[in-house]
Amino acid sequence: MIGTRTAVWLVARREIVERVRERSLLISTFVTVGILAAGLVLPSALGFGGPAKGTVVAVGPRAVTVAQQARAQQQAFDVELSVRRAAGDAGARALVRGGEADVAVLAGGRALAVADAADEAVIAAVQAGSSAARGARPPPPLPVQRLGDGSSGTQQGIAFVALVILYGQLLGYGFWVATGVIEEKSTRVVELLLSTIRPRELLAGKVIGIGLLGLAQLLLIGAAGVVIGAASGQLDVTADVVAAVGIVLAWFVLGFLFYSCAFAVAGALVPRQEELQTATAPLTILIVMSFFLSFGALDDPGSGLARVMSFIPPSAPMVMPVRLIAGDAAAWEVVASVGLTVLGGGALIAVAARVYGAAVLRTGSRVSLRAVWRAAGEQPAGGRRRTGR
Amino acid sequence: MLELDDLRRRYGDTVALDGLSFTVGPGQLFGFVGPNGAGKTTAMRIVLGVLQPDGGEVRWRGRPVDAAARARFGYMPEERGLYPKMRVADQLVHLARLHGLAAGHARAATELWLERLGLTGVAGRRTETLSLGNQQRAQLGAALVHEPELLVLDEPFSGLDPVGVDVLSEVLRERAREGVPVVFSSHQLELVERLCDAVAIVRSGRVVASGTVAELRARRAGRRWRVDVDGAPAGWLGAVPGATAVGRDDGTVVVELAGDADEQALLDAARRAGRVRRFAPQEPTLADLFREVVA
Repeated sequence: MIGTRTAVWLVARREIVERVRERSLLISTFVTVGILAAGLVLPSALGFGGPAKGTVVAVGPRAVTVAQQARAQQQAFDVELSVRRAAGDAGARALVRGGEADVAVLAGGRALAVADAADEAVIAAVQAGSSAARGARPPPPLPVQRLGDGSSGTQQGIAFVALVILYGQLLGYGFWVATGVIEEKSTRVVELLLSTIRPRELLAGKVIGIGLLGLAQLLLIGAAGVVIGAASGQLDVTADVVAAVGIVLAWFVLGFLFYSCAFAVAGALVPRQEELQTATAPLTILIVMSFFLSFGALDDPGSGLARVMSFIPPSAPMVMPVRLIAGDAAAWEVVASVGLTVLGGGALIAVAARVYGAAVLRTGSRVSLRAVWRAAGEQPAGGRRRTGR
Repeated sequence: MLELDDLRRRYGDTVALDGLSFTVGPGQLFGFVGPNGAGKTTAMRIVLGVLQPDGGEVRWRGRPVDAAARARFGYMPEERGLYPKMRVADQLVHLARLHGLAAGHARAATELWLERLGLTGVAGRRTETLSLGNQQRAQLGAALVHEPELLVLDEPFSGLDPVGVDVLSEVLRERAREGVPVVFSSHQLELVERLCDAVAIVRSGRVVASGTVAELRARRAGRRWRVDVDGAPAGWLGAVPGATAVGRDDGTVVVELAGDADEQALLDAARRAGRVRRFAPQEPTLADLFREVVA
């Protein structure tokens, strides 16, 4: 006979070995890294973020001087200007109307024609260029200091990516647990397994094995993200970024602790894979709701709602990391949030341990949680009779 | 020795086991027969600890069965099941290790059984890609790979082709020769009769007859004789005390004699009635016995 630890480890090892052999894990890792890379590289490639870009079209030598003066000051205005020339005012206007230029400096540098959508900063830079071209020496723009809780755009971006990855990982790996349980149940291999190990050993091994796999995949994705970010110059690999990866890993563990056992129970209640969606619907809704509510925390990490949500176990694994990365949370808040999530997870594990063994052997039709709970009370399937260990 | 002692189990209002008891000795091939729903599967699941009884006890070698004892049992559930995507050899190694074999030992035992069951060629294939017959063999391998001290097999012969039946019969006989008690359920009564040292017939959760097939026959109230008499007048049997005709076909009468009736008196009466062409005891088959006690 084998001890509990050996049983759990053997089950976990099987989960890891068998799933690593499946191509789907490899594919999902690549897809996630791909999305991450796209998220890091695309925004700047598409012109989001960074200085506002603008094209200035100039008519005649004076106008060209204005445009060049504007360009000389572009950094102070946080814009990036390109200059082109047009033969006459009509041609310049046409370019602006056609969307090919944002601002036209008309002949003699006496008037501007600007597009509706032209960036204010671009216009301001051209105005300043005009003043400079006339020899005026206006004071340089005042230096700007951003105030706030430190949630710069970058931090917010990292928090967003962290949120999306945590969401995908919790949902995906939760589903893996549920499908794994149904697979054992629907193929009846579970009866063979339970004739030699206890239900809670099987449950623990499955959850730990799949959880370790999820953690390893996250680590890989995190490392790939940091490397791609650094290589593309889109990410300053600061302590903040490394901390963010750490926060995601830690909260994946906590979130998985909470959700995985619930997914296992949901899987144990139904006889076939076809009923997986129905069985896991409440959990999916919980995760999706937490995900969307986390966007509020992304906008305003210090809001009351975000604070409350970061203490409630179902949403804490997504809201708290967002608050930690994008904003800040007091030490006591972090401790309380972790504590409550662990407590919630512990309670769910206790429920799962009781219900799982009773549910997983009931093949044939769907069983209700209540019926299984009662049956488990009468017949502790954890094997009270299994004495002599 | 395996003892099932007064096992009781209900599912809601349905009584599955109603004081079921029987004993299987070392090296005994024990057939467990009964109509569908008689409680065979429930009893086996209880022996394996997959199900808890409401009452009664299962003892192995004189002591209540515990997890350590169960780890040394081999089980083939009625509803077959292995991991469909797992490779056959990996699957057996995994199960052997769950039953307590060390890694090296588990691999060696897996190789041995795959060889014996003719599965070496498909050892590296996913279980779901095997033919049904080979999946059955793999399932048997799963029950045997950890060298169990007791085998409990629920309908092991169902779905096997004649060659598979022979292979399985031989394996079971060999296990029994090694001293392993083998309990299996089956609806193929001729097979059970041919293979088993002893049988238990269950009905509605109780054992209604058990023992060796010879014992079951001996326990019957009467003995049967087939008598074939040329030119016998109707009603010739009426003169023989304790004799009743229980069947008739093709001029042959099947006569049942009450416990103390003398078959010589029957023979004398037959000779008086006409030319006796045939006078032979009719041994009931297990199927006959089964029908009598289950009806």
